[in-house]
Amino acid sequence: MGTDGGTGRMTSEEISGRLKEKLPEAVLAFEELPGTAGRVRFRAESALEVFRVVRSDLGYDHLSMVGGIDWVEEREVIYLVWSDLRRNYLLLSTRIAARDAHIESATPVWPSANWHEREAWEMVDIRFDHHPDLRHLLMPDGYAFHPLLRSFKLHEPEELEVKVRRV
Amino acid sequence: MWINMGPQHPMTHGLWNLRVKIEGEIVKEIDPEMGFLHRGIEKISEDRHYNEVITLMDRTCYVAGIAWEHLYIQAAEQALHVTPPARALWIRVLCEEMQRIASHVMWYAAFVQDLGLMSPFLYGMRDRDLLLDHFQSFTGGRLTYEYMRVGGVRNDLPPGTTDRMRKTLDWLMDRFVEYDRLCMGSEIFRKRCDDLGVLKANDCIAYGVTGPMLRSAGVRRDLRKDRPYAIYDQVDFDMAIADSADVTGRYLVRMEEMRQSVRILRQVVDWLDKHPGPVMAPNLPRWLGAPYAPVGREGYLLKRNYPKGVGLSAIEEPHGEANAYVVNEGGEHPYRVKFRSPVYVNLSAAHKYLVGYHVADIPPIMGSVDVCVGEVDR
Repeated sequence: MGTDGGTGRMTSEEISGRLKEKLPEAVLAFEELPGTAGRVRFRAESALEVFRVVRSDLGYDHLSMVGGIDWVEEREVIYLVWSDLRRNYLLLSTRIAARDAHIESATPVWPSANWHEREAWEMVDIRFDHHPDLRHLLMPDGYAFHPLLRSFKLHEPEELEVKVRRV
Repeated sequence: MWINMGPQHPMTHGLWNLRVKIEGEIVKEIDPEMGFLHRGIEKISEDRHYNEVITLMDRTCYVAGIAWEHLYIQAAEQALHVTPPARALWIRVLCEEMQRIASHVMWYAAFVQDLGLMSPFLYGMRDRDLLLDHFQSFTGGRLTYEYMRVGGVRNDLPPGTTDRMRKTLDWLMDRFVEYDRLCMGSEIFRKRCDDLGVLKANDCIAYGVTGPMLRSAGVRRDLRKDRPYAIYDQVDFDMAIADSADVTGRYLVRMEEMRQSVRILRQVVDWLDKHPGPVMAPNLPRWLGAPYAPVGREGYLLKRNYPKGVGLSAIEEPHGEANAYVVNEGGEHPYRVKFRSPVYVNLSAAHKYLVGYHVADIPPIMGSVDVCVGEVDR
């Protein structure tokens, strides 16, 4: 539960103000997103600090999902968090360079990130540093591709077959 | 010693493998192995029109297909800036609540059979069929419906549906009493379920567990109440809660949820009787409204200029909280679709409610989780 003195619901402005006060360097932007308290864009280098503040100071104690999006030059990681105190969602998102894409794991803050991050790693090729158990979840062990990258094309079975044989 | 429970094991209720490390009869460690049913639904969605993804949604969770359609449709409509008419919203809630009862009855049938009670299985399957008959009358399908569309639903209910529905609901309410008598009155059932698979509230929250498992630990959370979507803020119902956090608690929560769903459905059919109207939004973009969009240069120009957007939706699916995130980059297909399956997360916490119990306790505990592998693997 959060430690905001029991005020319960906060408006989006209050949340954004609190974030900017606590993390002036890490938070890049706060945007409106219908159906949530807002969308926080943050710097990937300070991911763990952002997670800690969002969980402990803002009270978003429940991580709903972690997902990766491939923007070809960059990869985006989204974190959807829910607060039992405020009864709303908050979306955290960050962009990292596609070459050697990596970000700090959220498992120390939200243990539920474990499987989500395993999936994001195998599907979108984002490495999660200090993850306790980063191995394949839905794909077989040793699978050499990352299917949710834009470069992984459907409708090209011949090409895929050749690659598999080489492995 | 490590043993495999699955991929073909009666406990799994689907295609997955639970690797269990045992010492004597006691479970020491577990490692769920998933992915046997992975079809790449998120990837295939990137290659389909917005309305074609609905077909995949039915296959995502095959016991709650229409709830997943509802989830996806809400996110797609937000991403595409489309507002459906009121009657379509009420029909969607009608579908979701019918599906909730059908899914819970299916769970009841399978779970109680795992415990060795055969009659409840037959009763459950019989009653689920009544709901599937209703689905068939207005969607044409009994398992995979393809009924919802971006902007509304495909067709209105045929005449007389609401009256037939009321009869079914009355009949179901009597059956729920029978279900309870069969289970809660059975000493075998109580001995096999009480104080089993305990997952306390703080563990539930840390591991992201939602749905009946969370509510059975005494946490008051239901997205239909906390973040009302569609028309849930206009209907009266109570949240089902238990505080034992064990298998019996999950059973009680699901039973109460079915009664509350009947209560919601009664209000919904009354509203539908009084408010005829269109079920599709009138001013849909041409490329989206037609079953086959204009192709060639004309279609390209229409789609290219369409505004971009992002859609996020959350629903209380029969198994728990499901999320969808849809990115519309202006093209004819979604750029990225991401789903959060509640069972996936509930399973990822399995070491918390399995370790320390006996091997023979695994079937009732996993039964109470209500695993649907289709939505875990997607």
